[in-house]
Amino acid sequence: MILNYLSPVVSPVTYRIERLSPTQFAYLLVLPVLLIMSVVAFWPLLRTFEISLHSDQLTGATAVGEFVGLRNYVALFSGDRAAVMPQPFLNVEEPLSSSLIVTFLFAIVSVAIETVLGFGQAIVLDQDFRGRRWVRTAILIPWAVPIVIQGMIFFLMFSPGIGFAVEPLHQLGLFSLTPLNDTGSSLAIIVVADVWKTTPFMALLILAGLQSIDRQLYDVARMSGASRWQQFKTITFPLVLPSVLVAMLFRSIAALRVFGLIETVSSCSTVPSLSCMVVSTFNSQRFGTSAAIAFVTAGVIGIAVSIYIAKFARSERGAV
Amino acid sequence: MASETSSGGPGQNVLQRWAERSIRNPERVYRAMFYVAAVFFLFTTLFPFYWLVVLAVTPNDLIVNMGLAPRGFNVEAFVTLFERLPLHRYMLNSFIIAMITTCIVLVLGSLAGYAFGRIEFKGRRPLMLAVLAVSYFPPAAFLLPLFRLFTGNVSLFGVSSPVVFNTPGALVTPMTALFMPLSIFILTTFYSQIPDGLEDAARVEGTTRLGALFRVIVPLSAPGVATAGIMTFISVYNEFFFSFMMTDGQVSNWAPIVFGILGYQGQYSQFYNLMAAASIVGVLPVVILVIVAQERIVSGLTSGALKE
Repeated sequence: MILNYLSPVVSPVTYRIERLSPTQFAYLLVLPVLLIMSVVAFWPLLRTFEISLHSDQLTGATAVGEFVGLRNYVALFSGDRAAVMPQPFLNVEEPLSSSLIVTFLFAIVSVAIETVLGFGQAIVLDQDFRGRRWVRTAILIPWAVPIVIQGMIFFLMFSPGIGFAVEPLHQLGLFSLTPLNDTGSSLAIIVVADVWKTTPFMALLILAGLQSIDRQLYDVARMSGASRWQQFKTITFPLVLPSVLVAMLFRSIAALRVFGLIETVSSCSTVPSLSCMVVSTFNSQRFGTSAAIAFVTAGVIGIAVSIYIAKFARSERGAV
Repeated sequence: MASETSSGGPGQNVLQRWAERSIRNPERVYRAMFYVAAVFFLFTTLFPFYWLVVLAVTPNDLIVNMGLAPRGFNVEAFVTLFERLPLHRYMLNSFIIAMITTCIVLVLGSLAGYAFGRIEFKGRRPLMLAVLAVSYFPPAAFLLPLFRLFTGNVSLFGVSSPVVFNTPGALVTPMTALFMPLSIFILTTFYSQIPDGLEDAARVEGTTRLGALFRVIVPLSAPGVATAGIMTFISVYNEFFFSFMMTDGQVSNWAPIVFGILGYQGQYSQFYNLMAAASIVGVLPVVILVIVAQERIVSGLTSGALKE
């Protein structure tokens, strides 16, 4: 009735929209996002996979050569493709020169350290004290630092000659004198840089978990004489564990695609991450190889994503 | 600690008394541990910024083998850096790209967030999961087709794609897709919490469906919209991969701050004071944003992961 009254005053398009069923209206609203996502995300993903099934074509009009099936992937894992890449994809004998191992090493070590430190920060921020807001702001700042500036900071800390840290660490026998040209030292520096920037993210997620714990549980525990450690072990840890796991998953996904930090601090030939290899094969026009590495990276992350989605689906069903 | 305290002296007495009291009341130890931890985290967080300031104010010829304290005080680097490279223009490019992306994400994300948050429709969950999943794929997996699309090498029905390489479009589109999911997630959460009654009241008074969204739901969810906007802006300003790959690095070709900072490392590789000063200038906008909007950022970070 209201619609009939409205129709003369509103435009025909608005009128049409008013007449749609809720489902049709919902799809209309989601349509712009789906269009953008299809062109910029879904299509490129499928196309990358398709390109990865073709051979490299260095000359000629077309970008890729003939269809070769999964041969690019086989060549990557068997080491046959190593010659055209700055560093091999997988080389068990020299783990620090193979991108798959370096990427995993980086992700596992940095996420582990971030989890421990993030837990520490979260516990500090969970306390009531004067100036807590300022401490929280200070701890949050590294999260907002652009990757290129994060890289620059650690480049300046570990550049030979100016970085204060190089000489003492060399004396301890931990670093070479030119750590930014050495895979082991560079990897360690990149882990430290990543920990510095992303621990706040971890801390805030864990803090949100900590603050959702019912404070009365602690009162009960104190009444019955539980020590701080017992309270942590039986109340805090099990209740906060789900948030910790989600945070670790998010961080692992991000760590597995590390690129900019390496490019700024060191170089892609010194620390060969998977994304680094995609870019360098892309730059040398080896599109088939590049796409195959990109898709392996996506596959590794896709496994992590599907774990999350399975969990998401389960908790959603549990909530309803 | 007992052997240390036996030698006496006023300092030891204080320590001894502290230890005795601590044994009687363990809360004191926890309090002390807490302060040590707080100071440790503040130090590790802020030290890298201190190091940037030290390098930036030390004249470049004194930088070699310097320790942890500045040698001299000289703010000239903050002027010189703009003479060497137009850092302000790189930053302006980044600002414009981030603003455009944020506007697109907020408008389109609001439409989708309304649908996901307030309408029960068939296929809602799978659609939402598909959109969310996108943001977790590595940018490298989109690079190749997008690069060819943006350089005019993809044709559909004989029409080749427009060349948007070296324009804001080449950065805005992939970043919109990359950061849209988080915003949709935040907006969906906020929009779904608005009571139905408020929207119904507006509709009865003759507001159209879209009118109700933009005049009732969005204003009532202002904190959520602000959170999504700030998260998108910071994410775009900080992004590296597409910023690095989708322009040729010329400031006139919309190269963002990534190339501004890397320019000092590449062309002026001996001028460490300029690199440090440029980093300070480049980081200031986001530091200010964090100080002003930390509540919103905290809510954005946590809603992305915990509101499942």
